[in-house]
Amino acid sequence: MSQTMSQEIVANRESETVIAVRGLAKSFGSQQIWKSLDLDVYRGEVLGVVGGSGQGKSVLLRVITGLVKPDAGTIRIFDRDVRDLSREEKVDMEARWGVLFQDGALFSSLSVLQNIQVPMREHLDLPQSIMDDLAFLKLAMVGLRPEAAHKFPSELSGGMRKRAGLARALSLDPEIVFLDEPTAGLDPIGASEFDHLIRKLQQTLGLTVYMVTHDLDSIFTVCDRVAVLADNMIVKTGTPEQLRRKPEHPWIEEYFCGERARAAKA
Amino acid sequence: MLKRHTGVILPTRAAAPGFRIELRGTAFCLVASGSWTVREVTDLDGGLKRLRVPIPPTPDFTGEMDISGIEQLDTAGAWLLQRTARLWEARGLKTRFSGMTEGFEILLEEVRRRSTQDRPADEGGASISGLVREWGVAVTGVGREAVLLTGFLGAVTATFVRIASQIWRFRPVSFVHHLDHTGFRAVPIIALICALIGAVIMQQGVVQLRTFGAETFAVNMVGILSLREVGVLLTAIMVAGRSGSAFTAEIGSMKMREEIDAMRTLGIDPMETLVAPRVLALIVVVPLLTFLGDMMCLVGGGLMAQVYLGLDAAAYIETLHNAIDMRHFFAGMIKAPFAALIIGLVGCLEGLKVTGSAESLGFHVTSAVVKAIFLVIVFDAVFAMFLSSIGI
Ligand SMILES: Nc1ncnc2c1ncn2[C@@H]1O[C@H](COP(=O)(O)OP(=O)(O)OP(=O)(O)O)[C@@H](O)[C@H]1O
Ligand SMILES: [Mg+2]
Repeated sequence: MSQTMSQEIVANRESETVIAVRGLAKSFGSQQIWKSLDLDVYRGEVLGVVGGSGQGKSVLLRVITGLVKPDAGTIRIFDRDVRDLSREEKVDMEARWGVLFQDGALFSSLSVLQNIQVPMREHLDLPQSIMDDLAFLKLAMVGLRPEAAHKFPSELSGGMRKRAGLARALSLDPEIVFLDEPTAGLDPIGASEFDHLIRKLQQTLGLTVYMVTHDLDSIFTVCDRVAVLADNMIVKTGTPEQLRRKPEHPWIEEYFCGERARAAKA
Repeated sequence: MLKRHTGVILPTRAAAPGFRIELRGTAFCLVASGSWTVREVTDLDGGLKRLRVPIPPTPDFTGEMDISGIEQLDTAGAWLLQRTARLWEARGLKTRFSGMTEGFEILLEEVRRRSTQDRPADEGGASISGLVREWGVAVTGVGREAVLLTGFLGAVTATFVRIASQIWRFRPVSFVHHLDHTGFRAVPIIALICALIGAVIMQQGVVQLRTFGAETFAVNMVGILSLREVGVLLTAIMVAGRSGSAFTAEIGSMKMREEIDAMRTLGIDPMETLVAPRVLALIVVVPLLTFLGDMMCLVGGGLMAQVYLGLDAAAYIETLHNAIDMRHFFAGMIKAPFAALIIGLVGCLEGLKVTGSAESLGFHVTSAVVKAIFLVIVFDAVFAMFLSSIGI
C-alpha cells in the first residue's frame, strides 16, 4: 500500500523540480569523485541519497549547497542556475534552504536559543520578543524541552544536538532541508523518533527533504525516493520498494537485499 | 512554507500581507489574506498588537479566523494566528478557523500544540540580585582559585615524586619536545627584548644621572637591576605569553574534544603525560633563558655605554666588575625556577578548566597569561623584600 501511495506522490510532483543537477563532475587531485552525475529532486518529496563510504555523498551535498565548487556541470535550484546568481540573490536563496550537518555544527559559544535565532538575525530584522517566541516554537517542534533553550551545545547529548541543529535549519521555514546522516550515532529508538520527526515536519511544513543516509530503517520509513551513488554516478533512482524488487546493480542488491535489509523490512 | 495551491507555482509576487475585521452576524471575523510568513511577521505583529480584542456584547458571540485569503503560510504566520485566537478565547470569544486547506490545518494544529507558555528563565539576565551574586562569586572566587592552585601544586609535586621513584614513567620525548618549544625557540625573542630593555635603561640612566654628574653610576644601576630583576621578570613575562598560553590552548583543546577523558579511560594519567613534562621543561628552561636575558641586558647596556659614556668594552666590563658581585646574580637566578613553576602550573590548570565551547578556550588562555604574569610579579615583589631584609 505504501508503495502505491509513494508512487502517486512521485507522479504528482514530477511536474516541479526544485533541484536539477546535470553532468556534474568533481575530482580532488587525481581522485575522480563523479564523472557525470545527474539528479532531480522534486518538490515535497523526501529523497534519500545512499552509497558506499567515500562515494561522495557528503561532497555532493556540499556542492549543491554551494560550499564546494564543481569542476563541470550545472545545478539549477528553484529553476535558477546557481552560477548566474548575484551575491544578494544567493543570500536570498540560502534563506530558502536549511542544512543539518552531521554533528549539528552548532555554534559552541551560543546557547541553543541563540543558535536557532542566528538565521533570523542574519536574514531578517525581527524584534527580539518575536524571535524568542518563534525559537521556542521551533524547539518544541523538533521535540526538545524548553529547558534545553539556554543550554550550550557542549551541554547537550548527541541526539539533542541533532535536534537543535534541525531547529536551526528550520529557523526560517525553508523550502528545502539538507540532512547529512541525520540518524547516524543515534540509538535505534532515537533514530526512529528522528525519522518520524522528519516525516512529520515534512508534512506539516511542506518541506522538500534531501537526506544523505546509511540507515535502512530511515529509507523504508521516510524516503519517497532513493538515489544510489555508485561507480562515480547516480546508478539508479526509485522508490525503496522498486529498488528492492529490481536492484539491477550489485551494490544495490547487496544493500537492499542483504541480511540487514531483510531485518529492517521485517 | 505552505502554499494554498500545490502544483506549479506561478512566478507572480504573493499579495501584500494583511487582515481586516468584519462582523458577520454574531461572529467577529478576522479576514486574513496574502502572505503570512516570517518575512511579513513584524508588520503583521504590529498590526495585530494595535488591534483591540473585540469584546462580545452578549455571550453568544463567537470569533472566526477566516484564512481563505491566505496564499502562503509558514510557522511564524500560523503562530501569529494562533496567538490571536488564544487572545480572543481568553476574552470569552469561542474562536474557530475557516477556509483552511488540509496542509494549513495540519500546520495550525501543530503550532497550537507546540506553543508552550512555560519557559525557563535565562539565568544570565541582569538584575540587582544577580549583580550582587556575581560580586560574591568573584570575591570568593579568588579564594577558590588559591585553593585550586595550591591543590594542583600538590598534585604536580606528587606526580614528580612518583616519576622520580618510578623513572620509567618519565616521558623523555615529550619533555624534549617542550624543551625545544619553550626554550630553544624562545631564545631570539628573549635575547632581543632583553638587549633592548638593557639599552633603554642605560640610556635613560645616563641622561637622568648626568644632571648630578653621576652618569658613570648608570653602569651600576644597569648591572644590578638587570641581574636582580629585569632579566628574570622579562623572561618570565615572555615565557608566560609564549608558553603558558600555549599550554592552556593545547591542553584545553584536548579537553574540549574529550581526549583527556579518553586518556583516563585508557589508564594514562594526564598529569604524567601532559602536565609533568611541560612543568619540568619550564623549570629547566626558564633559568637558562634568565641567564641569557641577564647577559643580553648587560650587552644592550654596554652598547649604550659606548655611545653615551664613551666606555669601550674593556672599560665597561671593568666598571661592571666593580659594581656587581655574585649575590646580585644569584638573587635574580633563584627566582627563575619558581617563576617557571608558577607559569607552568597556571597554564596547565587553566587548560584543564576549559569546558566545551570555543569561547571558554579563549577565556582560559587569556586568563592563564594574565594570572601567570600577575602571580610572577607578586612573587617577585615578595622575594625582593625578603632578600633585601636578609641582606643579599
Ligand atoms: N576537501 C577534500 N579534499 C580531498 N579529498 C576530499 C575532500 N573532501 C572529500 N574528499 C574525498 O572525496 C571522497 C568522498 O568523500 P565524502 O565525504 O563525500 O564521502 P561519503 O560518500 O560522504 O562517505 P561516508 O558515507 O563515509 O560519509 C572521499 O574519498 C574523500 O577522501
Ligand atoms: Mg559523508
